[in-house]
Amino acid sequence: MSEEISMDVLKAVVLALDDKYIMEIRFGDFIASIPLSEDKPNEVKAAFNKLIVRLKGGPFQIELDDCGEDLFSQVSKEYLVQLNREIKEVYGEMKSNGLLNV
Amino acid sequence: MKIDIHTHTRKCKSGDAPTREITPEDFCAVLTSTDVGIIAITNHNVFDLTQFERIEQLIAGDLQVWPGVELDVVDNDGSRGHLLIIVSPKLAKQFSTELLKLAANATPDEFTATIEEVLLAFDKLNPLYVAHYKKVPMVSESVLEMLESKTKNKNQVLKEVTNAISAGIYISHGHASIYGTDIHDWRKYKELSTGLPDLRLPVDSFEHFCLLLRKDPTTITTVLDRKTSEKIVLKPFPDDSALTITIYNDINVVFGPKGTGKSCLLKAIARHYSENGIDARVYESASDRLDELFDVKGRDLAINLNDYGINYCTNEIESLRNAVEVDVTSLSKYLNFFESKRTNKNAKRIKIKDIAPEEEGSRKRSFSETSAANQKVAEFLEFLYGSASVKNELSAEELSSVAQTLSNLLARLGRRKWEEFLGWKETVMLNSVIKIFRSEVARKTGMPELPTTTGFREYAINRIGIEMNSAEIIKGIDTEIPQQRDDVGSLGTSKGRLEYCTAFHFQNGSVSDSTLYSLSKVKKTPQKDFANYVRRIRNSTYSPELFQLIADLNEIEDVESIKTIQELLLFRRYFSLGGVSYSPSSGEASMVMLQKELGTERDVYILDEPERSLGNEYISDVIVPMIKDRARAGKIVFISTHDANIAVRTLPYNSIYRCHGGNGYSTYIGNPFTSDLVCLNDVDDRLDWRDISMKTLEGGKEAFGERGNIYGRS
Repeated sequence: MSEEISMDVLKAVVLALDDKYIMEIRFGDFIASIPLSEDKPNEVKAAFNKLIVRLKGGPFQIELDDCGEDLFSQVSKEYLVQLNREIKEVYGEMKSNGLLNV
Repeated sequence: MKIDIHTHTRKCKSGDAPTREITPEDFCAVLTSTDVGIIAITNHNVFDLTQFERIEQLIAGDLQVWPGVELDVVDNDGSRGHLLIIVSPKLAKQFSTELLKLAANATPDEFTATIEEVLLAFDKLNPLYVAHYKKVPMVSESVLEMLESKTKNKNQVLKEVTNAISAGIYISHGHASIYGTDIHDWRKYKELSTGLPDLRLPVDSFEHFCLLLRKDPTTITTVLDRKTSEKIVLKPFPDDSALTITIYNDINVVFGPKGTGKSCLLKAIARHYSENGIDARVYESASDRLDELFDVKGRDLAINLNDYGINYCTNEIESLRNAVEVDVTSLSKYLNFFESKRTNKNAKRIKIKDIAPEEEGSRKRSFSETSAANQKVAEFLEFLYGSASVKNELSAEELSSVAQTLSNLLARLGRRKWEEFLGWKETVMLNSVIKIFRSEVARKTGMPELPTTTGFREYAINRIGIEMNSAEIIKGIDTEIPQQRDDVGSLGTSKGRLEYCTAFHFQNGSVSDSTLYSLSKVKKTPQKDFANYVRRIRNSTYSPELFQLIADLNEIEDVESIKTIQELLLFRRYFSLGGVSYSPSSGEASMVMLQKELGTERDVYILDEPERSLGNEYISDVIVPMIKDRARAGKIVFISTHDANIAVRTLPYNSIYRCHGGNGYSTYIGNPFTSDLVCLNDVDDRLDWRDISMKTLEGGKEAFGERGNIYGRS
């Protein structure tokens, strides 16, 4: 229960650059960018790598800022629901395997 | 067992040191801390019967205490000499009476007696006479001659000298000699007692000792026969003639001039034992084989990493080498789903978006942990009921109470386990249903399905696995294995002990020592590359080049041969003296090889000229004690030797003498105790063991007698 209370919240925003949409998750000096309008798996993996490294420092959840009802906001909302569930699960795995930094 | 024929327990004369005084209790305490098995109490001109009886009572047969006295004996010219009179403990009272009668109220300082008076008083008690000889105050030659001529037990006259060297020299010149501590300070007795004479044959009593002094063959044979002996038939020589010899589970020396077939005899003995299933081989000094003997190149070197708590990393290496990238879910699938939903009328009626899959991992972990706890408790309960030790320790009531508590815990864990299993499987089934449901709806409505996962979980678990595997390998190869140091043996008192060191090091990527060898067939460069790649993989687990590094790892030469981290082991074996690497000389190599041979546990040791390349001092100080130690342990030791140090100082139970004369080759068997060597083919053909030993072993009789080292150093 205390873990839930102290859990960090990372902010995510959907950005439109020209005709391309990306979701940016910000934490500290880092930005994990997930392209929404294109299939760029390597960039998604790079974002995941940053999230895994961040997860070693403690559990977190990602919240979407300024959420609208446009297509990319809907995609981002659903994506984050799933991502948050998986982050929680991966955190549990890391903790039980002693991979956390603390 | 050691013998001390000269001790003092009382300050009797005014010149005696007070530290000669000792209580019966302290006397017993000191004696039991030494190897002394026979001790004679010989105070100056006094025998304290009360003290003797108290000591006997306290010692309770643990060692033999013989009553005695050190008398001032005067010559016709008035000069004094000291003579020890030692009698059987059975005659202690009679001895005391005779001494009191002889002393006639004289104080110990005043007391003197002539040899005639001594013989008149004590000779009827069949005593042991030990006269100071070349030791002050010395018994004069005339007194000694009179004693030897007038006593009825000439063999029981011994000469007391100062130490082992003197004893050896006088014995070699035909004087029966012995020495004792003549203790002045009992606080030093333990240390002094180590230099006392060893009794090679077991002595049961004072009377038995006197019989052995007479070199009575029956007595000696009876004593020798207490050791296990066997007759063996050998055919050592080309003429196929049979040789029947009795051998003892003690020291059996083979000696004689060169070229008389001693080595053939040893080989035949080795063959005999080998044919009877006993590990036996002839040891020959060969200093050039030292490296081979100690396996310096590590041909048979092995190590069990588990002994050092090191994981072999078999699974980790295999998993790392087979690791492949896990794909993430394409974002276009999400876009397709939501785009389609907007245009599809049916989509609004389908509430599929409201059903979210649940997390499975934590539920599975909870179940696994409870299940493991449940199993441990069940096993412990089973152990508790089955352990005799536990039942011995606990009463039935206590056992029942402990078992009841554990049974309750087991029941609760069982219920929890079941609940957690249900919860986990519910989630699995729910997620499965959601997936199927989405898939079916997508198929029937033509609407793309909503992905159930971003792929993050599988992606992260894959990378975490790679990190864990590489970290475990690095942990293993970063472990330091303690150096193994084995004592090889002494290089003599001045140099100290030689050690044999085996150092193991993992190639952790930074080892560049040319003196290290690979323990496996994998070469050193691939070992180093492998360690470095694993280290880079661990540091790059969450970077884009991870799988390129794994591909590079798999390109390393002979990488298939690296199945465990044992294949990354390097080693070095070397000799060390005082902690520094050392190359033994050929003489030193002979020393350590012989020590290794004698240090190896065997039933039979067969040594062919072990003295080769070795100095007298070393043979005396190191080799002879080791040989004696093996004999004391009941091992059969055969030694062919030209060295008097070995052939004489070990006092072998069996001496086999080979020689060549007018009638061809002959074999004689005997021992130093009877001093006879009897020809195997003619029992009337006898030689003197002492004479033959002196003549045959390293020079003539004179040299034999004068060399103190033969008998030990003071």
